[in-house]
Amino acid sequence: MMDTQLLISGVIFGLSIGSIFFLMAIGLSLCFGLMRIISLDQLLYYSIGAYITYTISLVTGSMWQGALAGMVVAGIVSFGVERFIFLRIYERDIAFTMIASFGILIGGVGVIKSIWGLVPRPVPVPMVTQISIMGTEIPVYRLIVIAISLLVYLGIWLFLNRTIIGKAIRAGIEDVEHVEGLGINVYRLFTTTFIIAGTLSGLAGGLHAPLIMVDPQMGLEVMPFIFMVVIIGGLGSIKGTLISAFLVGQVVSLGSLIYAPLAQMAPFAIMLLILLIKPTGLYGSKLLKR
Amino acid sequence: MMNVFRWWWGILLAFSLLAVLRVFLPLPFSNEIIIFSIYTMGCSFLLGRVGFISFGQPAYLATGAYATAFYLYYFGTNPYIGILIGILAGVLISLIVGPLFVRLRSDYFALVNLALAVIIFYMMQKVLASITKGDNGLWFLTNIASTPILDLSRPNHFYIFAFLVALAIWAFYKYLNDTLFGACCLASKINEDKVKFLGYSNFKIRLMAFVIANTTTALAGSMYAVYLGFVSPEMTSAHRAADPVVVTILGGVGTLYGPIVGAIAYTGMKDLISGLIGNWELFIGFLLVFIMLAGEKGIWGTLEPLLKKALFRKNVFKPER
Repeated sequence: MMDTQLLISGVIFGLSIGSIFFLMAIGLSLCFGLMRIISLDQLLYYSIGAYITYTISLVTGSMWQGALAGMVVAGIVSFGVERFIFLRIYERDIAFTMIASFGILIGGVGVIKSIWGLVPRPVPVPMVTQISIMGTEIPVYRLIVIAISLLVYLGIWLFLNRTIIGKAIRAGIEDVEHVEGLGINVYRLFTTTFIIAGTLSGLAGGLHAPLIMVDPQMGLEVMPFIFMVVIIGGLGSIKGTLISAFLVGQVVSLGSLIYAPLAQMAPFAIMLLILLIKPTGLYGSKLLKR
Repeated sequence: MMNVFRWWWGILLAFSLLAVLRVFLPLPFSNEIIIFSIYTMGCSFLLGRVGFISFGQPAYLATGAYATAFYLYYFGTNPYIGILIGILAGVLISLIVGPLFVRLRSDYFALVNLALAVIIFYMMQKVLASITKGDNGLWFLTNIASTPILDLSRPNHFYIFAFLVALAIWAFYKYLNDTLFGACCLASKINEDKVKFLGYSNFKIRLMAFVIANTTTALAGSMYAVYLGFVSPEMTSAHRAADPVVVTILGGVGTLYGPIVGAIAYTGMKDLISGLIGNWELFIGFLLVFIMLAGEKGIWGTLEPLLKKALFRKNVFKPER
């Protein structure tokens, strides 16, 4: 049987990875729910967040300022992309928005390569202190990452349920035409949602940067996992995304303790299984094409 | 006779151009183009005719390639049998996963295919490492025996073979587009309820199309294996997952010649631009966005009406002369 210490650190590791996945997948999920686009360029904002974190933390020495700056820059870039590209293609078929956003992703990765170069960059971990839980040493930073993602979930929940814009967004996920009929400018809602999604992806990149090396391909490396999180949770559902993000995180982390090659493959097998039983994911509603 | 000629002239023209290209372009480049356009043809058919966008074509490519590679590395030496085995493997895997995948909606389909590509990648890289040699790949160039008429172990003979295969595949897809089945595919893309109402099974149509397209892809994979004499898990990595989709869009979705034009443009750009600046993805990415914004017609889709207009005018004025 597995050793308890290994198990606890494995669970914490899985939860922190899951938190990162959640922060990124929520953007994809919201964009799909409201605008019916599959926005692969969230992965670009993730890389941008990580790189800005790297640069700022190199200059000021504080990773937290870097993550904040990364969030802001990712938000601004996503605003620009939404204005110049997505505004023109919302009406198109979902497959085409997917391809266009993939084009943005590859182009953006090219820009990142030409600015920062190909070499992977390390970002220092802001807090090296460890606390002990049941005799296992746990890095505090990972716990903070988990806490931040839970706070974000709470914030998103409050935003969607307690503010008028959030309520309009939720109504838009149900039926955009009716919302438009009520005299609400849906394109402004789209822009708001897109910026929120981009900012959260930037935050995910910033928080993930100290745990891994920052390199130009980092977005493409997490892409399959983010897809999987979104699919298992059901496109368009926030709660489903949270649950499936933590599920996938645990499978990746605990799976690698049992049999290393399996860790990368098991989540995909689980996803296939879930899709076969329930083709819309765990919490996905039967969304019809507009 | 005239009808047959009219039916064929497009293909003949395209392929005579391709044959002319062979004279001007270096051999590896022409081989690359031919195989790549076969690879893209399957994706183009799925996307343009059936409305399925697949980000997981490398999965089927790798299946064909590895089936051929296993045969050539462990069992035999005849490349033709190797390619045949690759095709069979393609049919087999699409028959296994097809019934599960084609039930899904188009957006989920793209993602599930990507997942399959990742699964196959890790299988080849880690799980089956004892027989696939992991990241090192299988090298079997010296195992390929020379065959009597077309010697596939020699690149210039291989080009002729690839050329003939590509020609056959194009003729097949052109034939398919004109049959009832091709019409059904298009109909199930546009309005599946009506297809059901007319008494056709969407599931069967899509499964059939899926099997045909992915067998083509597997064939391209086994041709890569024979041509390069080596396979590695890198060919199915997630980074390359979008290549065929990009080429399809570049060439023009659902057009017959799009894949050739796209493959030439993509491979050409890759070679030219990577010589000039380090990151050609930058260029490809923005080109893709530009094409999407400009009306998603692609290079061939934009050229075709112009060409037709030019040719049509000639045809109209000829009889009066």
